Amino acid sequence: MPVGPLGLDPLFWAPLRLIIAVALALFLVLNGALLQIYLERKIQAIIQDRLGPYHVGPFGLLQTFADAIKLIAKEDVRARATDPWFFLAAPALVFCPMLASWVVLPFAQDIVGVDLNIGLLYLTTLGSMTVLGIVIAGWASNNKYALVGGLRSAGQLISYEIPQILALVSVALVVGSLSMIDITRSQAGPLVNVFVLPFSFLIYFIAALAETNRTPFDLPEAESELVAGWLTEYSGMRWGTMLALSEYGNVTVVSSIVTTLWFGGWQGPGVDAIPLLGVLWFTLKVYGVIVVMMWIRATLPRLRIDQLMTFCWLGLIPLALLNIMVVAVLALAFPDTKIPIALASWLLVIAFIAGVPFVQRRRLALLRARASASAVRAAS
Amino acid sequence: MSFDFVEPVVFAVLAFGVIGAGAAVVLLDRITASALLMALTFLCMAGMFVLLGAETIAAFQVLIYVGAITVLILFGVQFTKQGGDRSYALFFQKQYPLAAALVAAVAIPVALFAFSFTAPAPPPGGGDIRPLATSVFTDYAFAFEVASVLLLAAMVGAIVLTTRDERAEAARRRK
Repeated sequence: MPVGPLGLDPLFWAPLRLIIAVALALFLVLNGALLQIYLERKIQAIIQDRLGPYHVGPFGLLQTFADAIKLIAKEDVRARATDPWFFLAAPALVFCPMLASWVVLPFAQDIVGVDLNIGLLYLTTLGSMTVLGIVIAGWASNNKYALVGGLRSAGQLISYEIPQILALVSVALVVGSLSMIDITRSQAGPLVNVFVLPFSFLIYFIAALAETNRTPFDLPEAESELVAGWLTEYSGMRWGTMLALSEYGNVTVVSSIVTTLWFGGWQGPGVDAIPLLGVLWFTLKVYGVIVVMMWIRATLPRLRIDQLMTFCWLGLIPLALLNIMVVAVLALAFPDTKIPIALASWLLVIAFIAGVPFVQRRRLALLRARASASAVRAAS
Repeated sequence: MSFDFVEPVVFAVLAFGVIGAGAAVVLLDRITASALLMALTFLCMAGMFVLLGAETIAAFQVLIYVGAITVLILFGVQFTKQGGDRSYALFFQKQYPLAAALVAAVAIPVALFAFSFTAPAPPPGGGDIRPLATSVFTDYAFAFEVASVLLLAAMVGAIVLTTRDERAEAARRRK
């Protein structure tokens, strides 16, 4: 008879392992959300020259705990005209894919749920399911603001999924695997992928900001124009599950993908001697990425919906395709060295950053010409 | 004891999911519920693929059908009028005898065929994407290219159909 770990019967061990894994993921999601909300408020406060939360606990650390208890204690309100089934199902539809994607995140050398050999594909698949819940939430709320938010999110998330996946392809081309573990292992030493493929990192990061509804792209819930977008009718813990847990959980997942693919995952000084140190490095890198996302939120204004779609379809997608073509050709031409790929990728980054003002000026000129042409037509 | 009993149980759950949700898609008279149940059908199909050891196909199934197609259908539904003059099912509007006859005509031969052979056990490691990619880009390269030309034509067609002709519109407005 086969025996599992700790001398347990495997028939007993397998369900136990499942329960432990789900509980651990829930624990990490809940506490990650609490910590990230605190960080978000504190970082925004620092950038905007305010104090941020500081009453509850030392440095206001317990503020988000108090908020969470308040959310749980709130009455479960549901407007009468909402669609009962879909209204209740939507938070679960948003939350479950996010929770399921934690199974392939490599926290350290041996600390990973499953080493799927299609890990990256699995993560993109689950990421694409979130939009279903958001659209359903917007529709079931029977509220015009919520509906507009849901429609916007459908358009935005489906569009930005494309450059996101295309950016992942170039990493898979260089590494030759979709497994999160293999990708981390391929970046031993200080030369992590962000030095080799900075352009695909740039594309992925921009697209990921849009996928997680972070601020330059938070049109589905744009507070200043749509009340709270698709979240308008939700309150209490349903709102908490959708917004706080799912959104911050997704931010963590996306940051983990960035960390694993471009920043060497758990690898760092001293990991070979003490493997558990990998968890520390991984967490530090993930929170580094998250802090950059919060920094962007406090710095950049929100885009308009047509600017958002134009930027994706006319900007990011062609550039991502160009990136794939360049990386594929160079990877075939020089199979032994990554230097040509790195050079080409850095050149693309420079061209991208230098090209933005140029393109903006041309678009502005085009808009002005169109406006004056229509003015002439109206006058004649 | 062993885990042999798990696979049939999972298969039964998925099979009921596929058939039940699929039947509900065509029989329900609420288009949004139909769309969402279609997503459930696709998810259960993806589960079937996982059981058969084809994790890659399962992932693509969810990515394309649940993440994109269903969302596009919902997107379309939200632009249409809700609770209009009548609500109606997609097919077989109250034509139950006809529906039963048609379903039986398809289902009985399929069931007979399905029970007439025993499939070999699926090869392990079907989730490996490398052999899949190799066969798509070598053995089936022609079919793959034909499919992509078809999709390209559809995309160009969609763009042509939805592009607004600004001059024609301005002329119409002037009238």
